[in-house]
Amino acid sequence: MISCRDLTCRYGEFVAVDRLSLEVAAGSICAFLGPNGAGKSTTVKMLTGLIAPTSGSATVAGLDVVRDSLEIKRRIGVLPENLGLFDDLTVDEHLYLTGDVYKLSRAETKDRSNQLLRALHLEHGRHTFASRCSHGMRKKTALAMALLANPKVLFLDEPLEAIDPVTAKTITDLLITLSQRGVTVFLTSHILAAVEQFATRVVLIKKGVVAWNSTIAEVPGSLEKLYFDLVEAPAAEDLAWLGSSQS
Amino acid sequence: MVRVLAVLNAVRRAVWRGQGSFLSIGTNNFLIFTAYFLRQTGTFLYLLLALLIFFPLSADPLRKVPAERLALWPLDRREWWILRILTPWLNPITWFLAAATAWAVHHVMTWQLLGIVAGLFVLSFVLSDLSGGVWEGLARRVPAFGGLLRELIRNNLRQMICTLDFWLALILSVGTTIYRIADRTAPPEAFLMMSMMIILALSSYAQCLFGLDGAAGLTRYRLLPLHGWQILLAKDAAFLLVTLALTLALNPLTGLAAALMVLAVGHEQSVKHIKPQVRWRFSTSASLGNGVVQVTALFIAGYGVTRTSVLLLIPCAAIYGISVWWFGRRL
Repeated sequence: MISCRDLTCRYGEFVAVDRLSLEVAAGSICAFLGPNGAGKSTTVKMLTGLIAPTSGSATVAGLDVVRDSLEIKRRIGVLPENLGLFDDLTVDEHLYLTGDVYKLSRAETKDRSNQLLRALHLEHGRHTFASRCSHGMRKKTALAMALLANPKVLFLDEPLEAIDPVTAKTITDLLITLSQRGVTVFLTSHILAAVEQFATRVVLIKKGVVAWNSTIAEVPGSLEKLYFDLVEAPAAEDLAWLGSSQS
Repeated sequence: MVRVLAVLNAVRRAVWRGQGSFLSIGTNNFLIFTAYFLRQTGTFLYLLLALLIFFPLSADPLRKVPAERLALWPLDRREWWILRILTPWLNPITWFLAAATAWAVHHVMTWQLLGIVAGLFVLSFVLSDLSGGVWEGLARRVPAFGGLLRELIRNNLRQMICTLDFWLALILSVGTTIYRIADRTAPPEAFLMMSMMIILALSSYAQCLFGLDGAAGLTRYRLLPLHGWQILLAKDAAFLLVTLALTLALNPLTGLAAALMVLAVGHEQSVKHIKPQVRWRFSTSASLGNGVVQVTALFIAGYGVTRTSVLLLIPCAAIYGISVWWFGRRL
């Protein structure tokens, strides 16, 4: 469902993603993990048509990401890194906007919106302007927009961050159900323990290069240990002044 | 006192950085072209611009600090009051008022005029705390129009009413409409001219149609399964609706022709050089050259439609259509 071959993105001299090759089968949940600045969001942007790759090729749902970008947009749902919300529209209006451009009827949009807002515990804020929403509400709105048009492939950039535990559980359950129904999910996250519970494939990326790519069953030990071993170990800075009598 | 000074310093930096956004007026088509063509006879228009900019300029500087952050800082009551008294002096309008008071004492300025200016300042200072709620109430009343692009058009209409360009155009429109009703013998040329002045007031906005969308809005535009021309059309529809409403009682055909040309020329800057804009400021023209072409096209189209034939609207619409198609491909 998602296929990349030597996908590369350069910003001048800086190589954000370096010859990335991977295959994600239909119905799988691929967790794309790495530290900040590793190239995760850049990869998502290339796969969703937000930026063009410098070289290499990629297909999503059998369509070329450069040549067929409009057609791809009709088949995917995206939760972008910056959420992609308009400050001057309310939560409800964002969902109606999505329904309109994906050519859903108003009744269908209303029906689906109500269900999504209930599922994501966002009913109380449906008439709030995005500029007035908390980060969590904004994230839920963007997620609802991604799901509303019933996409074949979902790209979610850090869907579980800044989300309350109950909604996080709802989202993970939802992703598992979607995957069982054949929807492909490609997500980035920093919450390794949560990802380990529902991802079917794990790709670790470090400085734009794939450091690990396997099914979750093939991960030796815990995902956290693998991440610390291959990608980045926690810093061991001793902040001696913290907790001392010095203010 | 160290804490107060630290906060004052932070507020001073934030205020001075924010003041830069007021300089947007310097590159606004309306000011540039009225100053060039009208010079001293345009005093009333400059006063109008000054009055409009006076409101956001008078905002409370302490609002630069998020309320939650201010509440979390370990400031005692005395320190808070010192801050409350000193922060207004970070606003240049306060110094202007102090100078105006001195002028009034020395009879350079009348006490009545000082009272009006001070009243406006206090009103703006207090209103800056309420403006969010006022805007929200106004924004909720913006209607949605039918079709695929309805929510985008609504979003764009709301963005437009957050610019001082819109309020300037509204004042010109309302003022001229009242004049038309009051004086039935007024010459039609005046309304032709005022229709074009209204479009001139909005022309800089037509150069930065995506300026208020921010990075998130632009991301969403790129993710929506829409053609570039559809996105541009949603922007333009809001602009045309506003111009039509504002020129309806004056000379709507002139307004329409001029607006089509202003948009057709402005697309280049709107699409190729997206310049972020600040709410409640005048729009910044992205390019003086583009502004010159816009204003020339605006006056030629406006005069042409009224003086020669309404059929001139057809080439205007054709040029506009080509521009939407061409620059839509580049979005």
